[in-house]
Amino acid sequence: MLVPLTYNLRSLFVRRSSTLLTVFGIGATVAVLAGVLSLRQGFQSLFQEQGRDDIVIFMRPGANSEGESLFNRRTAQRLMKTEPAIAQDENEQPLASQECYVAVRRRKLGGGETNVPVRGVEPMSFKIRGEGIRIIDGRPFQPGADEVIVGAKLVGRIQNCKLGSVIQINTSPLKVVGIFESDGPFDSEIWGDLDRMLNALQRPFPNRVVSTLKAGVDLEALAARLEKDKETPAKVITERDYLASQSGALAGVLGLLGGFLAVVMGTAAVFTATNTMLAAISSRTHEIGVLLASGFRPIPVFLSFMFEALLLGLIGGLIGALLVLPLNGIETGATNFDTFTEVAFAFRVTPGVLMTAIIFALALGLAGGAIPAWRAARMKPIDALRRS
Amino acid sequence: MLQLVVRNLTKHPVRTLLTMGSLTVALFLICFLRSLVTTLEAGVEAADSRRLWVQSAVSLFVDLPASYETKIRDVEGVRDVCRWQWFGGYYKERANFFAQFAVNPDMLFDMWPEMEIIDGSKQQFLATKTGCLIGEGLAERYGWKVGDTVPIIGALFPLPGGAPWEFVVGGIYRPKKPSLDRQTLFFQWDYFSETQEALTGEPPAVGVYVLEADAGADVTQVMAGVDRLFENGPQRVQTTTEAEFNRQFVSMVGNVPRLVMFIGTGVFLAILLACINTMMLAAREQTHDIGILKALGFTDRTMFSLLLTQSLVLCGIGGGAGILLALGLEGWFNNALAASTGGFIIKGETIAWAVVAMLAVGLLSGIVPARRAQGLNTVDALRRS
Repeated sequence: MLVPLTYNLRSLFVRRSSTLLTVFGIGATVAVLAGVLSLRQGFQSLFQEQGRDDIVIFMRPGANSEGESLFNRRTAQRLMKTEPAIAQDENEQPLASQECYVAVRRRKLGGGETNVPVRGVEPMSFKIRGEGIRIIDGRPFQPGADEVIVGAKLVGRIQNCKLGSVIQINTSPLKVVGIFESDGPFDSEIWGDLDRMLNALQRPFPNRVVSTLKAGVDLEALAARLEKDKETPAKVITERDYLASQSGALAGVLGLLGGFLAVVMGTAAVFTATNTMLAAISSRTHEIGVLLASGFRPIPVFLSFMFEALLLGLIGGLIGALLVLPLNGIETGATNFDTFTEVAFAFRVTPGVLMTAIIFALALGLAGGAIPAWRAARMKPIDALRRS
Repeated sequence: MLQLVVRNLTKHPVRTLLTMGSLTVALFLICFLRSLVTTLEAGVEAADSRRLWVQSAVSLFVDLPASYETKIRDVEGVRDVCRWQWFGGYYKERANFFAQFAVNPDMLFDMWPEMEIIDGSKQQFLATKTGCLIGEGLAERYGWKVGDTVPIIGALFPLPGGAPWEFVVGGIYRPKKPSLDRQTLFFQWDYFSETQEALTGEPPAVGVYVLEADAGADVTQVMAGVDRLFENGPQRVQTTTEAEFNRQFVSMVGNVPRLVMFIGTGVFLAILLACINTMMLAAREQTHDIGILKALGFTDRTMFSLLLTQSLVLCGIGGGAGILLALGLEGWFNNALAASTGGFIIKGETIAWAVVAMLAVGLLSGIVPARRAQGLNTVDALRRS
């Protein structure tokens, strides 16, 4: 027969001050873990979930990022015109666009400097992305003009990013004519006309080509063929894979930090939980004696105390979850270690993060309850009863 | 009296050990997190005040024309100029990442007096065109010795067919100050330049120019003088002190220190709660004992200090172990984190902070039960079992 659960509920309530302290200890541990995880989640989803499978990126063979990649213009144009895998629009123009990319030094509104990506694109880039890029204020830039559109996430963070202001790059003043939103990390970037941006940055070459492929093209075969191609050698990768590859370092660091903290703080929390339960059991020795004498077997007594520990963990987990919930949606910025540029993203407290946190809290409770419950179950009824 | 403290603490050995264990963990974590932040900032603090860095005003990723060198040299107050170019390669696999720079090899020794050659020599480094100088951190990490050939794949400056560049280790250096990284490979500008020119038909551009100001020169004026030179292009420059130059890399990791502080506070509060909890439990169990002691004529004051001492001893042992643990692991972390934070060094200041935190926990968690013991009525205390 099992010990009634109300026994545990009541005893937690009777010792409420020490219950509360234990629960907050577990809660704080779990909140830290969940906080780091939701930061990582926000960053990763920006890069990994928003990348598109139907857009491919061509880079120089061996390059792992667009910053490293360079295309001679002639090669890039030949690739766009002659590659049969690239889809065409209704005017039979290839749905492909050369892009240049440099992270430029900008002053933050709150002081200090950061790196902001400037991307020069051809008009076809907008056609390729369709609704993925949305102008929410102002208008698109005119091809050939010293005008730019600015990602919405930059407006409140970086100087001179308001509609109508002028962004100075080297010796070129560029007028901000529009603000845009995007899927993925583009709304932390400044976009302008390819030739004007190359001119402003004093660069001869674009960095990459983006395009939409025809339906049914085998990407792996295409990648293998172009890798060895004599005329237009290129590395081909989907945008989703590309963006995922550009988020590994920061996501890895956050994951490690979260894991390390969880292990270290978790150890401390287990110690605390064990302590609380040990104290609880030693002050209830008499009660346990009564339980055992009235016919409860050691295993139900063990289970009963494990349940109590689990309950401590659960409440702690819920408190931890409550503590991190307000973080959800808060915008923050961090430097993406792969691109050296600052990206803005929000904490995302997802159900997955909360589940991880609560499971972790339960595990902490169980680990903390094991030794004390074992002790309780092994007590001899007579000895236990004798102690007052 | 002291014996009583020891007795009380050893009465429930498991509980005492667990409490000490939590404190060990907490203090270790505080030392660790704070050291992460201070290590990141060490390069800024140790920066040389006469070395100035000329970089593109536009971007960290934009190079400067090679023709700038002679013009910068002519600016008043400039004693020496050294070219640096970020090579951005890796050894075998991308995960084996560390910094490599092409530099003017002669200048390196003049302008970085904190660079101490511990194996090989300047002559050996300069003897062959492909000679390179590696930090002791790299020698430890990959077991490279003087005379070894080190293949580096040039991700930014690829050779035909993806072949690696090959450098011969001519010397191993140890930085005497944290202003120099201990995991960097320096190689000769001429080799870099000739190889690039043969491949692309043009000599390579320069990443940054590092200049040394004359001993008596006004650094601010030298900086302004260099910046003014290229105001109208082709590439505007931004000259900064070494501290400022290093700070831009630290601030890129910008929010991490804030996150770390947030976490540190969370940890500290959690542990504080746990300690108060245990202390109160222990004190409650001692109620009867305290009654006896009081009946024997021990004063309220003695009871107060007994419980407070108990708490301080507990925190001192547990926290002290945590600080020692952090110090013991310092060397290991220094190697493990070399690539990401540039090492790991625990400053004396951090230890002082940790000791203060430890005493604060001890006092706070001791005072509550101590006050209670002091105010306890002897008869009531004795009545309780």
